[in-house]
Amino acid sequence: MSLEFAYYPGCAAKQVQKEAASSAEAVAKILGITLKPMPRATCCGAVSLRESKPAFSLAVAARILSEAEAMGHDLCTICNTCLQTLNYANYRFKNEPEILEQINGVLKKAGVRPYEATIKVHHLLWVVTEQVDPKLLQSKIVKPLNGMNVAPFYGCHSQRPAEIFDARKGEKVDQLDQLIRAIGGNAVAYDGKDKCCGFHVMLSDKNEMRTMVGQNCLDAKDSGAEIMISPCTLCDMAMGAYQGPAEKVIGKSIDLPEMNFAQLLGIALGVDDATLGMGRLHVDPAPALKKRNI
Amino acid sequence: MESRKYTLRIQRNQKQDDGSVASEWQEFTVEGGETTTILTLLESVKGDQDGSLTFRQSCRSAICGSCAMRIGDRTRLACKTHIGAVVDEDGVVSISPQRNQPVLKDLVIDIDPFFKKIKEIKPYLLEGEEADTKVGASAYEQVNNVTQCIMCGSCYSDCTMSEVSENYLGPAALAKAFRFVSDPREGKKTARLYNLSKDDGMWSCVRCVQCVATCPKDVKPMEAIVKLRTRGIDKGFIDGVGQRHALAFHEDITKSGDLNEFTLLSRSVGIMGSVAELGVAMHLLKKGKIPSPFPHKAEGIQEVRAMYQDLEANPLDVETKAAEVEPE
Repeated sequence: MSLEFAYYPGCAAKQVQKEAASSAEAVAKILGITLKPMPRATCCGAVSLRESKPAFSLAVAARILSEAEAMGHDLCTICNTCLQTLNYANYRFKNEPEILEQINGVLKKAGVRPYEATIKVHHLLWVVTEQVDPKLLQSKIVKPLNGMNVAPFYGCHSQRPAEIFDARKGEKVDQLDQLIRAIGGNAVAYDGKDKCCGFHVMLSDKNEMRTMVGQNCLDAKDSGAEIMISPCTLCDMAMGAYQGPAEKVIGKSIDLPEMNFAQLLGIALGVDDATLGMGRLHVDPAPALKKRNI
Repeated sequence: MESRKYTLRIQRNQKQDDGSVASEWQEFTVEGGETTTILTLLESVKGDQDGSLTFRQSCRSAICGSCAMRIGDRTRLACKTHIGAVVDEDGVVSISPQRNQPVLKDLVIDIDPFFKKIKEIKPYLLEGEEADTKVGASAYEQVNNVTQCIMCGSCYSDCTMSEVSENYLGPAALAKAFRFVSDPREGKKTARLYNLSKDDGMWSCVRCVQCVATCPKDVKPMEAIVKLRTRGIDKGFIDGVGQRHALAFHEDITKSGDLNEFTLLSRSVGIMGSVAELGVAMHLLKKGKIPSPFPHKAEGIQEVRAMYQDLEANPLDVETKAAEVEPE
């Protein structure tokens, strides 16, 4: 089975969270997943564009999906919000033919190839846990996690609403848990694992956002987590980079290393620290890794 | 129906003299089939094992909303939830009171904060100059989901913003507000949108979609909140961080294709807001996390501009419409 995808990293992975992109690209290469660039793709618009310009947001999504379709591939992303936004639009295009026809009318007038609603939108995490041969993954592990307690933080936009995610039920998401176990770790169960990182109210409700970050991180830590991983560049930004500001708001020290799932997977697969952007993490994971002889 | 043993792990709560609540988990072994409801099993515990177990219940038909409580990983109606659907591999399920409101005893909470917020949005039609006397056949398409709300408080209990904010209106009140904003007979639609655009209103929703997943009546509160925001922007109520942030997206997408994260901050919170954020900016800078002011430019960006201009000139209504709901 050939694993080739039109690759849509999302804005955050091209800029502030670029370590997620370099890690994802490195692990994909090792696992035989080909990620092909999409030179025409724009920002997906997130829910923000859906709020301000609902019809334009569908047109933007259709143009992105159409580019992948023209390449002959499903789309693969590493950002939960892109995943949800594109799956939401794709779900509507597949279930509301009249909307697809109207939006395609806009695309045609602007000289864009119409979208035929034939492709699917995946997360790289899903590809790794559901499409890569588990034996291949096992054969590539050079630094297993030696039982390290890892907190999976799923992020809202890869789980809900369940109906848009093509046969994935919101309550049953366990891909991060699967991945953690596959690379030799122990997936920590904790209350905050499917809660919100607060990213989307980072600027409007600052204290509330920081409290969310603080509570979820502390909850994971109290449940024994040595490291936290997420499949989303926006959750990474919130739970990682904003952990410091969160500590100030909740008045407690957290000190929980947080990284993208692709970074931890990259460690297990022996990718070098520079490619994984280890120096860009706000809480240094080195002591936690050393404790487990990784 | 085959009967087997299940374990209900119930949080017992008891108010102390000093006002605090003492909590402990207690396990009860019960017998039932896969489709026996949690409510039936709670009644059997109360009737046969411990008469002091306290919970609310009334209609047994998912209409009154009394028996909402945390069952397993979210808030559910005990009368609508089958034991077989929520137990783990050992046949155990945890049951605790709703979150985000004060606990009174065992599984009973004080629901006043929830209803205070419902009242805050004035849950009735207001007279005024915007009232239409004609109600078309399509008027119901927008409010079909939100009129199903039974005020059980499940969404409020699982709302991730309500967990950290006492003042946030919450999903049910906002869904109810949308029901009136969308009613042709409502006389003060614009005034409602103005009020909802203030702090702790519709722009404080974090869009985690938990309320949509939790709601036992398919009200889809967050979908209503997204539509409220669109209507608020269309009325020109854009003087807020959330609104300005939302409006920044189409500017960037039509300009270069990708978000300009460098200028997004100042456009969302203004210059003074950016100064206030300086501490965080310095914190991010330490790890090289300040975005480039010159984002990547997508090929064919003129197509995107053409689509935008076309839709500005010829608006398209793409709002989701709800179909008739089948009775359960």
